[in-house]
Amino acid sequence: MSNVVLEKVSRTFGEFAAVSGVDLRVNEGEFVTLLGPSGCGKTTTLRMVAGLEQNTGGRISIGGRVVSDAARDLFVPAEHRALGMVFQSYAIWPHMSVFDNVAYPLRVRRVGRSDMRRRVLEALQLVEMADYADRPAPALSGGQQQRVAIARALVFEPALLLLDEPLSNLDARLRAQMGSEFRALQKRLGITSLYVTHDQEEAMALSDRVVVMQAGRVLQIGAPEDIYQRPASRDVANFFGSPNLLPATVVSCARLSDADFALSVRGSAWEGTCHAGEARAVGAEVLVLVRPESMRLAEGTAPATGALSGRVVQSSFHGARRAVTVEVHGSLMHAEVPATASLSEQVTFTIDEKAAWALSA
Amino acid sequence: MTVSADDSLHDSGRPAPTARLFAALRLLRATAAGRIVGLALLVAVLALLSVYPLSMLLYGSLHSTPPGMAGTFNLDGYRDILTRENSITLVNTVGISLAKTVPSLALAVLLAWILARTDTPCRGALEVLVTLPFFIPPILTAMAWGMLGNPQVGLLNQLYQAITGSSAAPINVYSYGGVVWHMMQYSVPFLFLLIVDAFRAMDPSLEEAARMCGASRLRTFRTITLQLMLPALTGGAILSFIRGIENFESPLFFGAPAGIHVITTDIYDSINQRSPPQYQYATAVSFVIMALLFLIVLVQWRLLRGRSFATVSGKGYSPGIVRLGPWRWVTFAVCMLFFIVTVVLPVGQLLIGSFFKFFGFYQWDMLTFEHYEAVFGSSEFWRGFGNTMLLGLIGASATMVLGGLVAYISVRTKWRGRSLIDAMAWLPWMMPGIVLGVGFLWGFALLPRAIPIYGTIWALLLAYISLGTPLSVRVMSSAYAQLSFDIEECSRVHGASWLTTMWRIVIALSWPSFVVGWVLVFFGIMRELSASVLLYSIGSEVLSVVLLKLWVNGNAEQVSVIGLMMMVMVILFRWVQLGFTRRHLGTL
Ligand SMILES: Nc1ncnc2c1ncn2[C@@H]1O[C@H](COP(=O)(O)OP(=O)(O)OP(=O)(O)O)[C@@H](O)[C@H]1O
Ligand SMILES: [Mg+2]
Repeated sequence: MSNVVLEKVSRTFGEFAAVSGVDLRVNEGEFVTLLGPSGCGKTTTLRMVAGLEQNTGGRISIGGRVVSDAARDLFVPAEHRALGMVFQSYAIWPHMSVFDNVAYPLRVRRVGRSDMRRRVLEALQLVEMADYADRPAPALSGGQQQRVAIARALVFEPALLLLDEPLSNLDARLRAQMGSEFRALQKRLGITSLYVTHDQEEAMALSDRVVVMQAGRVLQIGAPEDIYQRPASRDVANFFGSPNLLPATVVSCARLSDADFALSVRGSAWEGTCHAGEARAVGAEVLVLVRPESMRLAEGTAPATGALSGRVVQSSFHGARRAVTVEVHGSLMHAEVPATASLSEQVTFTIDEKAAWALSA
Repeated sequence: MTVSADDSLHDSGRPAPTARLFAALRLLRATAAGRIVGLALLVAVLALLSVYPLSMLLYGSLHSTPPGMAGTFNLDGYRDILTRENSITLVNTVGISLAKTVPSLALAVLLAWILARTDTPCRGALEVLVTLPFFIPPILTAMAWGMLGNPQVGLLNQLYQAITGSSAAPINVYSYGGVVWHMMQYSVPFLFLLIVDAFRAMDPSLEEAARMCGASRLRTFRTITLQLMLPALTGGAILSFIRGIENFESPLFFGAPAGIHVITTDIYDSINQRSPPQYQYATAVSFVIMALLFLIVLVQWRLLRGRSFATVSGKGYSPGIVRLGPWRWVTFAVCMLFFIVTVVLPVGQLLIGSFFKFFGFYQWDMLTFEHYEAVFGSSEFWRGFGNTMLLGLIGASATMVLGGLVAYISVRTKWRGRSLIDAMAWLPWMMPGIVLGVGFLWGFALLPRAIPIYGTIWALLLAYISLGTPLSVRVMSSAYAQLSFDIEECSRVHGASWLTTMWRIVIALSWPSFVVGWVLVFFGIMRELSASVLLYSIGSEVLSVVLLKLWVNGNAEQVSVIGLMMMVMVILFRWVQLGFTRRHLGTL
């Protein structure tokens, strides 16, 4: 059963369409991330689910109940949707103690005193903040405020948790730690979560599924591996890292399974095999996606068939690996090689053909 | 606060060699003899403007005879304060100020919420209209309301009688209600201006978080919005309360005729209405009111210490705007109503009053231009107008230069003695105009005969500069605080002298604030009545004094003409100021 369903949801500000025709189903207990560049409508989408923003088109249901339907002019405001939300700025109330912050949703629900105390401390324990219950809220670090915000969102056991870039105000190390802690907590509680971020690594590391958005539209929905290795379009492919896109012509096409076809292709600089998500006609033009880490530095100088060789124009050290830019027949290609590899000026690469993926040209 | 943060950054973040260079520069600056002379001069000027009148108050309150006469020292002035009437005066003062602060605060919060947080139409224009009454000299609205709400012939009562046909006159401004009502017209826009930015700048997610927790809009407003605003509201309320105690015009116009006395009018009466004038008593009372204000300021410091929340979000979000639906026309009407009652009604009254032969008798055959002719033909009017303009121009310029210097020293240098300078400049803030007037009366009388300042317009000028300095220091301090220290030091490292740096960088960047402050001080001078009425003499009357004299003589018609002209001037100035601020500062 789907916990959250968005059907053709849109939102316009005056003439400007911030979100247009978003379809999305989030299953019970699933962790789904909205990912996209700044201004693509992630926050707006999340706020429409929250009830803080009214959708101008489409329908939103949560737990089988329609909470907003533009056609019927139905709109359940935020306070009646009983959802937990964690804000980017934490939104911890500075005039209250940590305890009072977390107790607020229970006070609103008129929970009895002793019951409330127990539940607040339980929630604080979940985020390892029980020792801080009596602190005034302003006397907390960013990471601690974030934990309190999560405790506050969880304390009344909402069916759905919404998070808008909750980690973006933290430093890189804390971000990774809080991210994995939160993911572990989410799995343990089995709480359905809708998460917004513009950080691809965060999205891939945390999510069950990723929704890639651009200019108010959904480009692709899928597991992180699918989105990364088998993107539906060039835009999605471009969103992660700096991919190489090699123009090529289909020479043959063989069906492996329903959504997996083996192609043999020929390009100006390179020929070999790759995979595709749909059947391609022989002679069709495609773009072959090759991630930098799928480029293998070839031993020796003799170019094997299906190899590329060129001149190194730039090389930068990143600790575990080295990013190399190579000029091949006048176009630039990106590759990642082990940091220990010795590079001469002329290099030859082979391509990991299992990871090569054909996109429509 | 911004300044100290800048300081520490600036001290710790610099690499060592440049630090040594700057230390050397500082030393150079610190040993310059010119600086010491300049500082001494500044301290002397500030002492003349604030410490001198204050100490003269102490002197005068112990001196048995009027200023300038030989006498003995005793405590009679203070002994005379301890009477039953004076306890009523004290209760009146505090009670009236409380009675106007509480409803004003409620109304100001409502207006600030409407204009900052709802989708009421024409909010920008409404904001200008709602704050306009604050800039109108109180003496004008006092006279206008004196006519509007006159129990015998007031226009409002005439209207009421015409509509209901009864002969009752329900409105009488010469009452407690009238005093409170007149004060409110000033404290509502004053409080509004103080709190509206706090409403506007609040991080909307603080409220949205409450709604996500299940709180209704009303509960969110009560438990989150208002609570977060509490420090700003308390601070504003205390300031407004202080201004209520200092207020002179409202109790003078509406209280005195009804036998309602407050401390400021008591001081005025004992010098101007009793014979012989009781200078010692008036001065002692002045001291008491200062003590009262000082107490309130102490309470304010205690209350507000460490109680301001940084609720402003880093993101450039607009706070959550509440969609009111059809109710937005109701909120629109509320704002318009406030504007109509506080501006249109009084201005309308002055307009009508200026064209009819006799105040209170509004018939077609009574229409006349004779009051305009009388006013424009009167040398007294032109003298008052000239004096006000001259004092306004010189006073505002001098005050802003002084304030700019003080602010520069206290914000942007580490010179020793800068907090003394700051404190001296702030002192007049605690002195109501009438008290400062009394202090200067004594001060001028005790000057050697070679300095014949008493009775000239320069006496008024000194009082005006003294009264305006705290405001000018505040305006310029915030302007300087926004300039980064690097700009200034960078210019100096690149070889510019201190003066060049001042001129090219500091002044070039802070002049818009200077202009805004200038206009505010000019407004302050134009409206000043309480110190002027003690310090003027024949030949040095300013417009507000001319108005008061005409009013006391029962010439409401000419008062209307002059009032109307001042009103036009105020609106013109405000308009220019708004346009200027929008263009150069990007905010209201
Ligand atoms: N209240 C509003 N009025 C007008 N335009 C708006 C409003 N809120 C959002 N927008 C516009 O809608 C678009 C989507 O905004 P949104 O905040 O959803 O982006 P986002 O994907 O969350 O971006 P970011 O990663 O920067 O947070 C933006 O172009 C924004 O300017
Ligand atoms: Mg966003």
